[in-house]
Amino acid sequence: MGRYVVRRLIQALPLLFAISVVSFAILKFTPGGPLAAYEGNPDFTEADRLRLEKAFGLDQPLPVQYLAWIGNFLRLDWGYSFASHQPVLQLIGERLPNTIYLMGTVFVVVLLLAIPIGVMTAVKQYSVFDHAVTGATFAFLSTPTFWLGLLLIIVFGLQLRWLPLGGMSTPGLEQDIGDRVRHLILPVMTLSLVQVGGHVRYLRASMLETIGQDFMRTARAKGLSERVLVLRHALKNAAIPLVTIVALDLPELFVGALVTEQIFGWPGMGRLFWDAATRSDYPVLQGILAVSSTLIVLSNLVADVLYGYLDPRIRFS
Amino acid sequence: MKRALALISALAFAASACAPAPTGGGATGAPTGPAEAPVRGGTAIVAIWQEPSTLAPHYANQTVTDIVNYGVLEGLAETTNEGEYVPTLATRIPTVGNGGAVVKGTKLDVTWELKPGLKWSDGAPVTSADIKFTWEITMKDPKVNNRTGFSEIESIDTPNELTAVVHYKSIYAPYPLNFGGTSPALMPKHLLEKEADISKTEYVRKPIGTGPFKVADFKAGDSITLEKNPNYRGAPDKPYLDKIVFKSVPSSEVAIAQLKAGEVHAMWNLTESQTPEVEKEPKLALQAVPGPSVERMELNTAKNEEFTDPNSVHPVLGDIEVRKAILYATPKQQLIDKLLFGKGKPGTSPVSQGWAAYREPQEAYDQKKANETLDKAGWAKGGDGIRSKGGVRASLTLATTSGNQLRERVQQVLVDEYKAIGIEVKIQNQPSSVILSGSCTGKDPRKLGTFDMLIYASSPGIDPHSTIFPRYHSKNIPTRADCSGQNYTRFKDPVADKAIEEAGATLDQDKRKQAYATAMKQLNAAYVIVWLYDRQDLDARSVELRGWKANTWQRFTWNTEDWYLKK
Repeated sequence: MGRYVVRRLIQALPLLFAISVVSFAILKFTPGGPLAAYEGNPDFTEADRLRLEKAFGLDQPLPVQYLAWIGNFLRLDWGYSFASHQPVLQLIGERLPNTIYLMGTVFVVVLLLAIPIGVMTAVKQYSVFDHAVTGATFAFLSTPTFWLGLLLIIVFGLQLRWLPLGGMSTPGLEQDIGDRVRHLILPVMTLSLVQVGGHVRYLRASMLETIGQDFMRTARAKGLSERVLVLRHALKNAAIPLVTIVALDLPELFVGALVTEQIFGWPGMGRLFWDAATRSDYPVLQGILAVSSTLIVLSNLVADVLYGYLDPRIRFS
Repeated sequence: MKRALALISALAFAASACAPAPTGGGATGAPTGPAEAPVRGGTAIVAIWQEPSTLAPHYANQTVTDIVNYGVLEGLAETTNEGEYVPTLATRIPTVGNGGAVVKGTKLDVTWELKPGLKWSDGAPVTSADIKFTWEITMKDPKVNNRTGFSEIESIDTPNELTAVVHYKSIYAPYPLNFGGTSPALMPKHLLEKEADISKTEYVRKPIGTGPFKVADFKAGDSITLEKNPNYRGAPDKPYLDKIVFKSVPSSEVAIAQLKAGEVHAMWNLTESQTPEVEKEPKLALQAVPGPSVERMELNTAKNEEFTDPNSVHPVLGDIEVRKAILYATPKQQLIDKLLFGKGKPGTSPVSQGWAAYREPQEAYDQKKANETLDKAGWAKGGDGIRSKGGVRASLTLATTSGNQLRERVQQVLVDEYKAIGIEVKIQNQPSSVILSGSCTGKDPRKLGTFDMLIYASSPGIDPHSTIFPRYHSKNIPTRADCSGQNYTRFKDPVADKAIEEAGATLDQDKRKQAYATAMKQLNAAYVIVWLYDRQDLDARSVELRGWKANTWQRFTWNTEDWYLKK
């Protein structure tokens, strides 16, 4: 398996290189550019524009700009934001804990909800509970996060005034755990409601398939209790596809949720990307895109390896 | 950039007691004014829905940066609501009259005197070397936003700790705000002189200033916390508040919601359509301050074609009678009442505020007069109700920035109004990144001359000359050879040209004002621009937050040292 992992990693390199070239090109050919923000300033002259283009290296031919960036990037010098002049690594470092905090909570909440609900719907197939869950999961699966988020803000924030409207904490109450939890509820709810549906559907389908198999009948014939049967024999096998799906979710832990972070004013990676995108802040955008594409490639590998580990029928060759 | 010393603020305070309340929406029944004893302490929370990417004054290019920095940074002088220059860190405004400004041929010397005993918020003394350093660093640092004014300086002498003599290469009229006003602000030499690259220091997030507050915490994407500056020259009396937190919120809608929920005390920059929602809340006050931005519709007098010849004549708009009729058929007041919720004033000229303001109104809305004008000029209505003359149909395009709801509604009204007088108008909008790109390579239709009528807004620069010269002197019609001018209507008038040149060659404010008035009068007599309306800056606050004062020239945080919280 070690050789397999090494081989996959080597294969990933040209892929990541191609991704970086394509994302660099997309950024550069997007209309606007980092100096567009200065246009409205009556004191900003043509000479100022030329000077800033030079200071930011934007006057160089595109291949030169790309090579300079990738060279520095590999030496862990990710450059400086055009807008805030902060090192890109520092900007990412500031936002990453906030995103892991939010997305990690979502990750745990989703699993805690999806596993019991998925098992229950499969065991009690076609029951009222199953139908209700199926209906609800489809409804939430097809709900866009921005709409659900705004709806939750209107209901719980504006109408009922139970929960804060956004941000990570109330100014002055940064150390108050209760306050932090209250700020966490709405964004976690938004993301969990949308994500939990997919996981439930996967687990339910996989459970149903497993329950109908021969070894389950054998186990039941041995006189095992229904509880042991479901948890020890069925779930363990049925969870294999879920594990890979969860592994594919891992990059989100670090990349964040663009729309949800924006709606709730969450100072995470998604919002950093949004702000950088609106300002064409190339170094920040390239840094985030490099991180996310690497994580996606790696998590695909993790999913494949886990799958093989959990299911001995899969061979790495 | 900031307020003056205790004496002056006391004077201002006393003056505001007798003066009528500032214009605009004003505080909705909120008891403000000097009669009330200010409360000390507390934290005010201001919602901002854009994050300042940097607080370094020479790099910043966002309004929100100014909003935060008004509490932290100051310059030598600032502008009052009435448009007068008043000293902040300087003892007086140098003028020709008091000998502080001396014209030497085509050059200018300005002598600034600092108030004695001033300190930076870290305790170091403020000296004339800081003035010189601010100029040097602005000219040296390649990442500065712009060098307006500073590039006109030849050298600076610092004969003593408190005196700086600034030698200008030209007669640079807006010199009073060169070192302060809005940004730029004075920068601390002792802290920055050894830095090879200021953009890589802590200064970009925690600049050191002389203002009532200092930056205590900069949490990216979350909040910026200012706390009392113990070395402020007004201390220990001022500021009244202990802290101001600028809290980042996702949008202005959320800011309004948080204001209503009592989570924040103030917010900036509402749109006109959001004002009724704030005005109906008894706990909130709306502040509408006339801003310098003027929304206008420019009419192209030359042919609508790429790199148009300035001497060509537009087949329809080349006729001044058509341009007159378009003005008569524009219902400015109706646009303001219906679409701006009354928050605005009919436009009169490009300079609506300050000492050079020209407020002679254009002719009022009169559809009958518009029709008569066109009839008389020989533009006859055809079977479809559209006029034509000599085989030319009165059909025009109207462009503006796409996606701007307010402008699109204004366009709909105008299309109907102009149709009623027999002029057909087709809407031809483009993204603002094209229409306002300001460059020929960016396909800006104003630069190329590829438009008939075009709606946009613009604010005058630091001095009226930086607006009037590039926009209305016939030398500044953009052409293929030189695309830099901004005379987009291709307006050519020798009287206006002469007046603009005269205004640029003197420091005498009365003479300049008169000359600009002549130029703007000529401009309006040519009917090339319909001044639609003057925008207002709309800010909202909780009535618990007291001590606010309106200032057209600065942002609402300009006097944070006077703010206090009272339930």
